[in-house]
Amino acid sequence: MEMIPHVAKARRRANPYLDLGSYDPEADLMVLNLGPQHPSTHGVFRLKLYLDGEIIVKVVPFVGYLHRGVEKLCEKLTMVQLIPIFDKNDYVSPMMNEQSLVMAFEALLGIEVPRRARYVRTLLAELQRIASHLLWLGAFAMDLGGALGGGSTLFMYCFRERELILDVFEDLTGCRFHYNTHMIGGNRHDVPAGWATKVHAAINAIETRLPEYETFLITNDIYIERTRGVGVVDGQLSMDLGITGPVLRAGGVDHDLRRDAPYHCYDEIEVRVATATAGDCEARAAVRMAEIRESIRLVRELIDNIPEGPLGARKPIKTPLAEKAAKGHAYAAVESPRGELGIYVIGGGDNKGASPYRLKIRSPSLHVLGCLPYILPGHSVSDAVAVLGSVDPIMGEVDR
Amino acid sequence: MKLLGAENSEEVQKLLIEQFEAMENSLGGPPVVAVVRHLELAKKLRDEYQYRIFGFVVAAHYPAPAKDANGVGELIRVSYGLRSVGKGTKLATWQVCIPVDGAIPTLVPLFAGADWQEREQFDLVGVRFDGHPDPRRLMLSEDWQGHPLRKDYAIDTKVHPWR
Amino acid sequence: MNPWLRGLIYAVVVINVFLTITAWSIWFERKFSGRMQSRLGPTFYGPMGLLQPVVDGIKLIQKEFLIPINADRLLFVIAPPLTVVLALGTAAVVPFGADIIAADLDIGVLYLLALGSLTIIPVWMSGWSSNNKYAMLGAMRAVAQGVSYEIPLVLASLVPVILAGSMSLSDIVRFQIKHGWFAFWPPGPGFFAFLFFLPASLAEANRIPFDIPEAESELIAGVSTEYTGMGFGLLYLAEYLHTLVISAVASVLFFGGWDGPFAPGLHWMVLKTLGLFAGIFWVRWSLVRFRSDQLMSICWRYLVPGGLILVMSAGLWVHFHRGSG
Repeated sequence: MEMIPHVAKARRRANPYLDLGSYDPEADLMVLNLGPQHPSTHGVFRLKLYLDGEIIVKVVPFVGYLHRGVEKLCEKLTMVQLIPIFDKNDYVSPMMNEQSLVMAFEALLGIEVPRRARYVRTLLAELQRIASHLLWLGAFAMDLGGALGGGSTLFMYCFRERELILDVFEDLTGCRFHYNTHMIGGNRHDVPAGWATKVHAAINAIETRLPEYETFLITNDIYIERTRGVGVVDGQLSMDLGITGPVLRAGGVDHDLRRDAPYHCYDEIEVRVATATAGDCEARAAVRMAEIRESIRLVRELIDNIPEGPLGARKPIKTPLAEKAAKGHAYAAVESPRGELGIYVIGGGDNKGASPYRLKIRSPSLHVLGCLPYILPGHSVSDAVAVLGSVDPIMGEVDR
Repeated sequence: MKLLGAENSEEVQKLLIEQFEAMENSLGGPPVVAVVRHLELAKKLRDEYQYRIFGFVVAAHYPAPAKDANGVGELIRVSYGLRSVGKGTKLATWQVCIPVDGAIPTLVPLFAGADWQEREQFDLVGVRFDGHPDPRRLMLSEDWQGHPLRKDYAIDTKVHPWR
Repeated sequence: MNPWLRGLIYAVVVINVFLTITAWSIWFERKFSGRMQSRLGPTFYGPMGLLQPVVDGIKLIQKEFLIPINADRLLFVIAPPLTVVLALGTAAVVPFGADIIAADLDIGVLYLLALGSLTIIPVWMSGWSSNNKYAMLGAMRAVAQGVSYEIPLVLASLVPVILAGSMSLSDIVRFQIKHGWFAFWPPGPGFFAFLFFLPASLAEANRIPFDIPEAESELIAGVSTEYTGMGFGLLYLAEYLHTLVISAVASVLFFGGWDGPFAPGLHWMVLKTLGLFAGIFWVRWSLVRFRSDQLMSICWRYLVPGGLILVMSAGLWVHFHRGSG
């Protein structure tokens, strides 16, 4: 018979396929449905928790409440039409979605992107990473501290700072959130005059306020008490589960696509990858905070050195059907704030080959949620919420 | 015989062709490996070639061609990807080709992350995975009929919410 | 005057004053937290949104009071009023001035603690009768927490009682007027007793960082998950009332109650109470919450042994400084 998880709390990898029939029927487990409508499931996500008292014995996650059939839609729309739709997948970092998609199409069509466009893309990616991590920080604080408590204060502060970056994006693209600024073969919007000054101002403001947030949350004793040793995802489990991004790095695995498989212009700049070893909630938070700082540094390095040259490999395409038919399979991945966001595309579908035949999104959030059945047993319901907040899933990307 | 944008490294390509008799795929994409040797390949890549991070499973449905002279029939092609760790990370990809009612041995014993991806592919494309510990639908509701990403599933297929 | 009549008048006055202060303290908290979070808070109704509590009250009264189909109807209905009654009951013995007190009981502190610990029962009633798992978990947490924190609360309240030699709240204040506030004099036991009293009473009133019974990021709203309309309103009100009474009691026990120069005693008492109240808000809007087992370990590992030491040291101080003299 399986050991009851809270007896074996030291064991870090629970059995997600635990057969509860083997338990003593007197154990009297309670089933608690956390979600799909719940304040801290970050969208519509359901965790079926089998509780022994307040200790979790088994977890069954349910996703798909936000399934919109994007992959089916990809078979019907042309490649050019798809870019704005991908903004809505990971709605916290739309830039990354666009970039991964256009990179996959560029690989499929064999288009070389000019250096200036690659620089601008790198810059946008790093700014987006800051914005995304700031939102995570606020949401994580809210999970720990509640919507009517200390957490919401940090949440408001983080949103205030994130707004600075959205303003910068608005100056560039005209949109606060769903940008549609990437094209196959380049970028649509050129850097406006005086933009660098605004970016510098935004970055400086964020950097001066970061220590305040660290005092508020990261170095707070209650926070440390709540997160240290909670929800340990070690490196081996992460890799088995296909988890990438901050969760993998917090488990001690030094792996970052920006440095290890450079795309855009990451081969021209040095990315210092932040890692931690503990793999718990605290380590994940520390890695993300370090990534904000690193992104700020990268933005500073990039913003003043954008090279001259064309912003697109060719003139913008006016009609969606003008994309030439392309056969073959292509894969492109970017390091999104949540991990490896990959697009696998098979060319030559409908619309005389202007649509993909099949497109698959390898979403980092889906893999990250897969860790919950392995790590949550043995923790309490409060810890489940803290862990869920610390792995930072975006449901739009999980369900697609 | 390659995945554009993420080619196999030379040693993996050599392994695939020489030891696993991988074949060219007429429709492009990574090399095709026989279903029976699929699990062995994944294990070898993980243990000997250090492809430790689970990448993806992508199934694509190919309906029977109009003039099916060779008796190809309805096919499902499943591409797998594994990623190596750290500096110079590479993707190792291969393809498995099965008839539409066939099954593929599951990768869950090797990579826990294959669980949800395989469930998703089963849900959307309808490819069966042999030995999967939890073969339920992932995205759609349990009582959904059909597999939406098949080419014969029209995008405007009516779905009654009260079914 | 007929003591019954006097009691009735005081009761009406105390209830009205406390309810009014509570209603506007909600406005105050929303404004305060808004400023803390770089937003404005309520602005729509009245100048600076001052009529917000009225509008909130009207909204809550208008709403339907839904009773879940499998709920225990009787308990479900009587639990919210009962919480308010108990919270208001504690206010009866709080002296707001030399003779502004509804009932100057000889055992005021005991009455206060007894009634305060009774508030767990309606909370448990509401959680149990809702027939909801979140409410149930919240209620169980509330009971565990309330029972545990009762002990450090009693121990911390005992220190002023020992120092003053009386259980009557007004006697405790008179002693402090003569000798000095217990928070500062004698140096040591009084101040630490205050430091123990505050978290213990916050835990009893379920305020952040001890608000795990209604932790809305985990348990949606804890015991009040199934309540709508005025039922929810009363539970909410009782929580604020409880906090207000705690601030009043803390200022009586440790800050000399109505004692203060220049102004009438009532002003000082209200000032101290609202100052502590605002301090509690400040804590609430800047901390994250504990986990329930951590809360228990704080109580049993630190507060209870520390409280015992405090009581002993207060006794020793009394023995050596006053007993001998």
